[in-house]
Amino acid sequence: MSAGGGGAGEAAVGVQRSERSIRKGAGMALLLLVLLLVPRFANNYYLEVLSEAWLYVLLCLGLNIVVGFAGLLDLGYAAFFAVGAYTAGIVTIRLGQSFWLSLPIAVVTATLAGVIIGGPTLRLRSDYLAIVTLGFGEMVRITVRNLAITGGASGLVGIERPHLFGYALHSIGAFYYVFLLLAVLGIVASHRLENSRIGRAWKYVRSDEDAARAMGINHAAVKLAAYALGAIFAAIGGCFYATKMTAISPETFTFNQSLLILLGVVLGGRGKIPGVILGALVIVIFPELFRDVGSMRMLVFAVSLLLIMLFRPAGIWPERWR
Amino acid sequence: MKRRTILAIAGLFAFGLGGAGPAHAADIKIGAQVPTSGSEAPYGIDMLNAIRMAADQINAKGGLLGEKISILPGDSACDPQAAVNAASKLVSENITGVVGGYCSGATLPTLKVYGDAHVPFVITASNSTELIGANPGNAFMINSTGFDQVKTAVALFKAKGIKTLSIINEGDAYSANLAQLTRKAWEKMGNKVVDYEVVSKGQQDFSPVVTRIRERHPDAVFWTAYYADGALLIKQLRQGGYTGMIALGDGNNSPKLFQLAGAAAEGVYCFSNPTANFLPAAKTFIADYQKQFHQPPGPYSALSYDGMMLMAHAIKVAGSTDKMKIIAALKATHAFPGIAGPISFTKENTLARSNFVVLLGKGGQWTLYTGPGAPAAP
Repeated sequence: MSAGGGGAGEAAVGVQRSERSIRKGAGMALLLLVLLLVPRFANNYYLEVLSEAWLYVLLCLGLNIVVGFAGLLDLGYAAFFAVGAYTAGIVTIRLGQSFWLSLPIAVVTATLAGVIIGGPTLRLRSDYLAIVTLGFGEMVRITVRNLAITGGASGLVGIERPHLFGYALHSIGAFYYVFLLLAVLGIVASHRLENSRIGRAWKYVRSDEDAARAMGINHAAVKLAAYALGAIFAAIGGCFYATKMTAISPETFTFNQSLLILLGVVLGGRGKIPGVILGALVIVIFPELFRDVGSMRMLVFAVSLLLIMLFRPAGIWPERWR
Repeated sequence: MKRRTILAIAGLFAFGLGGAGPAHAADIKIGAQVPTSGSEAPYGIDMLNAIRMAADQINAKGGLLGEKISILPGDSACDPQAAVNAASKLVSENITGVVGGYCSGATLPTLKVYGDAHVPFVITASNSTELIGANPGNAFMINSTGFDQVKTAVALFKAKGIKTLSIINEGDAYSANLAQLTRKAWEKMGNKVVDYEVVSKGQQDFSPVVTRIRERHPDAVFWTAYYADGALLIKQLRQGGYTGMIALGDGNNSPKLFQLAGAAAEGVYCFSNPTANFLPAAKTFIADYQKQFHQPPGPYSALSYDGMMLMAHAIKVAGSTDKMKIIAALKATHAFPGIAGPISFTKENTLARSNFVVLLGKGGQWTLYTGPGAPAAP
């Protein structure tokens, strides 16, 4: 989505470039139009699966900020997803407030959670960092399983469906649009972040932290920003997940969930936004494609993941390192 | 390299899409929502087999309303999101009704999916009390709920002279629900719960739990979660020198428990919904099942068979595949003769009687316990 940046001087190159970006823009618009029209043709099952896919696009893009851009391995990402989902549940059920209020609160709690996990781990690298984040993910899950306010092991049941301009978000068709919008916003935000000053700082820290510090990059602030922003993506996804399912329980936020999201990022190609989107689609849609295989479903899914990793070790659509 | 990748992926897609043959359009389609993947798959497949067998028997006798029944499996994988996907897929395939439901946590969000489409749902295994309040009115539970299990458990503990209890669960909706209800009932009677533990699913090493239990030496240990982990716990408790009574919730009634726990499972009690081998009316059912699937029926097979038969009965009474009429017919069910006992429903669409029995591990298998504290036969 490079802006038509050709200057007046380099006329020929500029024309070529703008032509390409127009073609690209037209392709995007057409794709978006098709996606917007899907609910007119698809049945509830397809909408259900696609909504889940858009949710995972958002989650994977969030984790991609941490793992892909900043190069910090995170094995507890589901914790931030849980923070969002439980914030929505507590705000609507326990406090009796509107669902929309839970969004800003979730952003705040997720930022806090991101800083809490990011703070103590600033000096940790690779495997050590992975283990601490893994522990953090389990801590959050076990905490919500044992607190009264989060409903303990049964979780929270009966989360209200929100209203928007007097129109209740109730049908799966409406949720399809909500999750599609979230995914699009996630893509745009990821793009803007990647090409921003902080995005470049993340990549610098990823490539060589010591060199980055020597060049005057505040590595602590940069890393904390990555955790916090990644957490916000997951928390917003979690809010809408909670209201769509109307019931949440700690079982949804296990280590397997963190692993699945990480799988999407690595499978697609970490650091590369289109790759991550593809990865997210693969982890959601493949198991559904294999539903008719029956009991062998997960085996087929696993074999297909192995094949992808064998033939595309850097991911389906890897980042080109500059 | 690139072409090979594309070929591999294309091959996978073709494999995925070309799976099972579709059902005939004119059939009466019944969904079977059971876990056929993941840790609970053995139970789910036992249920699916029984539902299929019931449908086959009805079809062999000329079908229903002149049409054949076809069973569409929906894999819930014991996970809420996967279960909602499976339920939506079944609804989109225009099923007339659904039979099944295992893992209460996964069944819960599907109630709304079926409720919105007014699809009648006979729940044959899930029995968390959370399901009662979330039921939009189209679901019918033919398995006794946690309340009945707690009554059975407490009666047995009392008859056995138990005073102090340790309750261990896995923190999922089903096992935590049962544990909490038991604790409440037990403490209300003036007894003590000296130890209340939540362990993780799939945990291999229970030594912290065993140490704590040896310290507090409760008269009985009550495990409310499923058999795969329960077997390890029993083994480690006995190896750790615990000699008191061990009781297990209804997720443990499986012959596999004895393969995993070995001699440690001797003398262990288990509360269970009635499984086929303890039901006098199920003799032909067991023989038929053994013949068709070359293995004995599982713990929820008999109830799932009943569930399918009940659904077929309701369709027959309704005289059409009109879903509202079928729901009305299910609601009006009175003393339907299931092999697990007569089925009638309360106002909340739950089974009108308790169907729990007490089992005792003896000689490497479950046997029906009829000593003091056992519930009266239906």
